This record gives sequence, structure tokens and C-alpha cells, in this order.
Amino acid sequence: MYIKVKSLVGENAMTLDDGAAIYNQIHDPLIQGETVALDFEGVEVFASPFFNAGVGHLLADLQPETLNERLKFDHLSDFGNRVLRRVIENAKEYYGSDLSQRNKIDRIVHDNAAVI
Amino acid sequence: MTLLAINIPTINDGRSDFIVLANIWRDVMSKGKGAEVLFKFSSCNFLRPNAVVFLGALARLIEYFGGKPTFVVETMKPHISTNLLQNGFAYAMGADTHPWQGNSIPYQEYGHNDINRIVNNLKNEWLGRDWVNISNTLKNEIAGQMSEIYINSFEHSKTLIGVSSCGQHFPNRRELVLAVADFGVGIPSNVRSSVDDRLSGAETMRWAFTRGNTTAKQIYGPRGMGLDLLKEFVRLNGGKLEIYSHDGYARIDSSGEIYENLQAFLKEL
Repeated sequence: MYIKVKSLVGENAMTLDDGAAIYNQIHDPLIQGETVALDFEGVEVFASPFFNAGVGHLLADLQPETLNERLKFDHLSDFGNRVLRRVIENAKEYYGSDLSQRNKIDRIVHDNAAVI
Repeated sequence: MTLLAINIPTINDGRSDFIVLANIWRDVMSKGKGAEVLFKFSSCNFLRPNAVVFLGALARLIEYFGGKPTFVVETMKPHISTNLLQNGFAYAMGADTHPWQGNSIPYQEYGHNDINRIVNNLKNEWLGRDWVNISNTLKNEIAGQMSEIYINSFEHSKTLIGVSSCGQHFPNRRELVLAVADFGVGIPSNVRSSVDDRLSGAETMRWAFTRGNTTAKQIYGPRGMGLDLLKEFVRLNGGKLEIYSHDGYARIDSSGEIYENLQAFLKEL
């Protein structure tokens, strides 16, 4: 599978919604064992929420080694690559942490969000 | 309608200046909803960008609560009124004169869906004016890092009036300043709600700047990267980042990071 990221999010890959647009396209194919190439040609500016939602989120369902084998990045700038690596490290820590601890954090945040 | 007149003094961006701004906010809020507020400037000789964005955001907050802000131009010294005309603040507040290009980065107001406009303005108005000689690649990197500030505000602050921003180039001091303001719930409140309501203002700020810590719902995966990336960027590039948020203060620069308690003067709305 080949995806031209610019055609989905434009020149700026910034927001959770931008990332979710990518995630929704690639999640199922990756789970089914397909190889996916994300081509970032023409995408100039990046922010961490994009990679959190688009790539980091995938580690909820895929082991890091599997994701590394199946998901390829083309024409990603050095800066984009640095943000991506940091997001992946953070996601590995999050999904690799004790499940009860993660649920506890999520529940606290969710409960407070519901009250506000 | 209750009438309130506020004298705006000279405002820089030191600690005492933020106390002045907080006191202005407190005076306005003490009048309740629907107040008419006259801002007078006869004793004002200078306004740093932080003061401009604060006053702009405060004006929108007054309007949000049904009041009417008025900036009394007749009380302004000529260089103050010229600056507010040039940077677009006056135009945003209803003046007829369009802004023009100068040493100011235009005053802007953004909503949740304006991220592309924010990026474009950072690239063109802040970094694209020949004040700094950088490659397009670096320009894109800086714009991406700086946009984390705005994204953070929209995601966490629950701002009622969007985000206000402006800046200035100070060639003699070799400074390029960007100021961003919202009147949301603030970092300390969010952190206390999510982590521990006994944390001090300084402790909440330190928590927020720690990688992986976030008060956001993690339905789109793990979060908590934005402020950490921004902190690293500022430190590596010799910049300075200051955040005043209710009773918490953070300063990041090449010498390290400082978190302090402030007097709790900006209450939640």
C-alpha cells in the first residue's frame, strides 16, 4: 500500500485529526500483514500530535518490531524523522508499561474530562 | 452597564509586569459580566508584545461576557498608537486603518481550525522577514516547534476566546519575540485535576514539561510530547521560553529550567 501524505493532510502535518486520517487508512492493512509506504514528499512542517495519532497509536495493536518491518517512510525530513522517533519511543514506553497503571492514568484523565 | 476606567502603564515582560497585567485582569473581572471598560494610556510609554496580546485577549473576554472594551486612542502617545496601528491590534479592535509592515509581527487571533494559518504566519511574518538568515528547512522546523505552543493551548486550555498572538523584532537587542495568550483554565488547574490537587504551581509546571506527561485523553494514542520537544528546541538553540499560568511559572533557556510558584491571582472562570 502506498499513501501520499500530502494528498491527505496538505503541506502541514500537525494535528490529531491529520494523524487520525493517516491512521484510519493504514491501521487495518498493517494488522493484516500488508506493507505500507508513507510518502511525505511536499509535506514541510510537522508537530507531534500528528505522529502521535498517526503512528504512535499503531503500537496499541502492533509490536514495535512488526511496525518497523511493515511501515516505511519516504521523503521524511530530518526534523520530521526526529519528531517521529521521539513519538515512537514515547509510545513504546506507554504501551509497554504495566496495563493497570496505564488504565489508571487513562481513567483519571477521562473522569476529569467528563466532569469539566 | 457598569463602567470601569483602567490606566495602562508602561509594560515590559518582567515578573512585575505580569503582576500588573494580572491586576488589570482582576479589576476587569471584579466588575462582573457586561461591564464597559475604558483602557487609558496616558502614562504608558511602551508595550511589549506580551502586553499587547494580553490586552487583546482581555478585550475578547470582556466581549464574550457581554461587555464593551474601548481603547481610548486620544490618551495614547503617538508612538504607542502608531505601534498598535502598525501591528494590526487597532484594526482587530475596530479601527479603520489596516496594518502595515514594520518591526512588529502582526497581532492575530486564532480559532481551533486555524493551524495552517498559524504555520503560515510563523513562516512568513515571524521567520520570513529577513530578520534571521535561515534555510527553508530550518524555517519549517522552527515553525513546527513553535506551533506546539498553539496546539497545546487549543487542546488543553478550554479557551473561550481562542488564542491571541503577536511579536516584535528588536534589532538592537537581537531579539525576535513571540507572545501568545489565552484565558483558559491554565496548566496548574489541568494538572491538579489529573494528577494531584495538592501540587504547588511550580510542581504542576514541572510535571507538564516532563516527557510523556499529559492531561489529554489518550484516545488517539499516547501524548505528552509537545512541551518536552519545545523545551529541548529552546535550550539547544539559545532561546528563552517563559510561561505564566495562574500560580505557576516556567522559564526555559540554555542555562536550564526554572519552575516557581506565583501568587494565585488569575482565577479560573
